[in-house]
Amino acid sequence: MFEPFTDIVPSFFGWLNQGPLTLTIFLHTFIILPMIWIYKQEKARLEKES
Amino acid sequence: MAKTSVWSDNRFWQRSAAWITGFSAVLLIWLTFDTAGQISMGTDADLQNGVTKRVPGPTVINYKISYEMSTARGHEVPVIGEKEKFFGRDDWSEEEAGALLHLGKLGSQVKNCMNCHTLLGNGAYYAPDLTKAWLDPAWQNDGTMQAMTGKDTKEEAMAEFLQHPSTYPTHARMMPDLGITAEEAKGIVAFLKHMSSIDTNGFPRNFGKIKGAVHGK
Repeated sequence: MFEPFTDIVPSFFGWLNQGPLTLTIFLHTFIILPMIWIYKQEKARLEKES
Repeated sequence: MAKTSVWSDNRFWQRSAAWITGFSAVLLIWLTFDTAGQISMGTDADLQNGVTKRVPGPTVINYKISYEMSTARGHEVPVIGEKEKFFGRDDWSEEEAGALLHLGKLGSQVKNCMNCHTLLGNGAYYAPDLTKAWLDPAWQNDGTMQAMTGKDTKEEAMAEFLQHPSTYPTHARMMPDLGITAEEAKGIVAFLKHMSSIDTNGFPRNFGKIKGAVHGK
């Protein structure tokens, strides 16, 4: 699942590109999780307004 | 009370889009600077001190370049070895080698090599991929190209071929005569030698499966 980092020049983007899962987990963490948070905030706001 | 729907709420989508756009923009700007660092050329001092750079300095033309399978990385990696004469010299200075590479790069652009060939993933596949052409066994000492051009070294055979490509029957799709001068040919060969030393993360794939491509095996 996770492979050792073997790129010639160490880089965050090299790490991100070591396998499909690293990229998937990264994008889910930084895009989907905040969207869930935004969703909950907006839901609370709408319920409060109605 | 009607059930509230967040999915049909404008503000949810606006905030989500703003977050994704902003985050991606930051990521791409960071990636640009990261890439600039990765592809910056090394120096002569790096080569002498064994500092590994993805793109070695121009004086790499003074060294033997070979390919080695890296089991850790899962592909072949370029190996810069001992000194090797290039057009009879192994003491090209950083300025001389840089000027030669520059001439070769401009030559490759003005003759539009990419119209048929591929360089570092850019170009066409009408003619062979030139990314690792320097390591192609056909140009080595027991290869066919030195015998065909009547030259004793790889670089001289390549330079001779580049000046009179249509003289040598190599392929069903013959390379046309592009009017490349002797000096331009020398530059283009230097450009090709330098390009073969670039660590391309194993591109082109399966290059090492060509017989003789890795350490003559």
